[in-house]
Amino acid sequence: MFTSFFKAFTNLFRKPQTIDYPLTPIPKDKDYRGLIEYREESCIYCLKCEKACPPGAILFVKSDNPSQNEKNKKGLVYNYNPYLCIYCSECVRACPKPDEALWQSNKKPEIAIKSDNVNSKWFELEKLK
Amino acid sequence: MKKIKVTLLDIVEEIKSFYDYKKWHFLTINGVALQDNMLEVQWIFSKYETLEEIVIFYVEIQYEDIIPSIVNIIPSAIISQRELVDMFGVEVEGSAKGLYLDKDSIQMPLRGCLL
Amino acid sequence: MKKTINIPLGSQHISLLEPVRFKFECENEKIVGVDSDVGFVHRGIEKACTTKFKYDGIGYVVARVCGLCAITHSLSYTVAIEELLNIEVTSKAKYLRILLLELDRIHSHMLCLSHTCENAGFEAMFMRIMGDRELIMEIQELLTGNRIQFDYINIGGVNRDINLEVATKIVNNLDRVKEKVMGYVDEFTNNWSLSLKFKRIGALSLDDAYKFNAIGPLARASGLNIDVRNEIKYLPYHEIGFKMQTHIDGDINARNIVRLNEILNSIEMCDNILAGIPEGEIQTKYKGKPNGESVVRFEAPRGELMYYVKANGTAMLERVRIKTPTFASIPAFSHIFMGENYADAPAILASFDPCLSCTAK
Repeated sequence: MFTSFFKAFTNLFRKPQTIDYPLTPIPKDKDYRGLIEYREESCIYCLKCEKACPPGAILFVKSDNPSQNEKNKKGLVYNYNPYLCIYCSECVRACPKPDEALWQSNKKPEIAIKSDNVNSKWFELEKLK
Repeated sequence: MKKIKVTLLDIVEEIKSFYDYKKWHFLTINGVALQDNMLEVQWIFSKYETLEEIVIFYVEIQYEDIIPSIVNIIPSAIISQRELVDMFGVEVEGSAKGLYLDKDSIQMPLRGCLL
Repeated sequence: MKKTINIPLGSQHISLLEPVRFKFECENEKIVGVDSDVGFVHRGIEKACTTKFKYDGIGYVVARVCGLCAITHSLSYTVAIEELLNIEVTSKAKYLRILLLELDRIHSHMLCLSHTCENAGFEAMFMRIMGDRELIMEIQELLTGNRIQFDYINIGGVNRDINLEVATKIVNNLDRVKEKVMGYVDEFTNNWSLSLKFKRIGALSLDDAYKFNAIGPLARASGLNIDVRNEIKYLPYHEIGFKMQTHIDGDINARNIVRLNEILNSIEMCDNILAGIPEGEIQTKYKGKPNGESVVRFEAPRGELMYYVKANGTAMLERVRIKTPTFASIPAFSHIFMGENYADAPAILASFDPCLSCTAK
């Protein structure tokens, strides 16, 4: 009982275990799983990432003004839904040019609010497919 | 994995003569939808403290058939039987509906005819 | 004539983490009848696996059955598919899989122990264990990139390699956790509100454990030698010092002690893995579509998890059957409640460590 009393007393002067969040940033490792990033110039449009994605968060849809990439013969545009993505990085493993065309960062997606209409915009894209 | 085919009439007798509650661990009852409105019902057992010894008794039935209950032999089978009733819409002796599904939800989702 | 009163527990209750409803038929204080309703969070994952997703994505779908044993779910499914495709996984990938499996077991058991404390009215201990659990979450995040949904295992291997920096951090954190768990063992055996109060409450005899096919820590606390880690050959558990932890009392205290011993055993196994992790690839290439059927069992933190997979040579599977630990233990739970006081019901329920999102899938 004496030890527990002593412990309780010393606890008064101990720092809390939690992080003082808005003032101190949360520690972030460079390998944490975050957003998938894409560089259009390096893409060869093999569409392997689209097939590999389990939730279907990557879509290549036809567009009227596609990019000037010469590999892009069908006039496709890359679309990525960070709110559907599960950050498993299957797409990066499927990509023939990982780290150049497609890679995983440790960034968070921005918080979407209702007026952003992320869902209905994505459903429109899915219809085009 | 050993699969033993039995008939619906014999299943209770077969399990009764096979099941020794200190030797065999009852895993679950499983249903697999087959072609032509048939259902395969499996009773899966494994042996205690033995490497990879699994025995499956199975019957192939129509959806209208009534499956006999094995609760008298294995009391813990009741929960698997209730799941089977909900998921496939078959009738198992003494097992009530409504473990997972409510009255107004889609019924018998695993039959394979619904998409 | 005897008169009984029906008292419900749940579906929302202060002692519950997830929705479940027990309807207790009570005679004065004693429970004489139990009826349970577990289907509140049914999501139809088995149906989704056979209609919406291809076989190579289902590993990520089934991981979402349950947050706490996500890794066991995806591992069981993956091993079932690997058996159908005849893939031989490299030994390094196997050891990394065990490493994460055991880390997951440690944090899940710590969560359960902290809830047992909370239900005993020992809030400070609850906070302490939850705080220490953060050490495990931290190394899980370093190893896999995520705290809960690891998505670490794919067909043919694992997704990420381990490096020296992470390995050192894991060893350091496990050392600290081990020290703290030793402290818990002391609390759980000597502290009145955690040990004596729990003695002979919610007991399950060995014979009943056999009869009701109890699994996991619930069965091992009654002295039943059932641990799937002892009965499988996919993972080399015997090389890394696995020891079965059993107890003879079968009450709440025995379950807590079994869980604590399992944490210690898991820490030992993790240390052994990190000491001798082999060199090599973490991924095996594979081709083809699965065909046939396979049954795979693994030891989740709560007990035996079984996957039955039937495939027909196409990308869509024919049937995925998930038998989760809590689902199989519900008859045993109901049996234990019989004859106990109603006031003890929350504490007994917490000691089962029920996972309802597993149960209803």
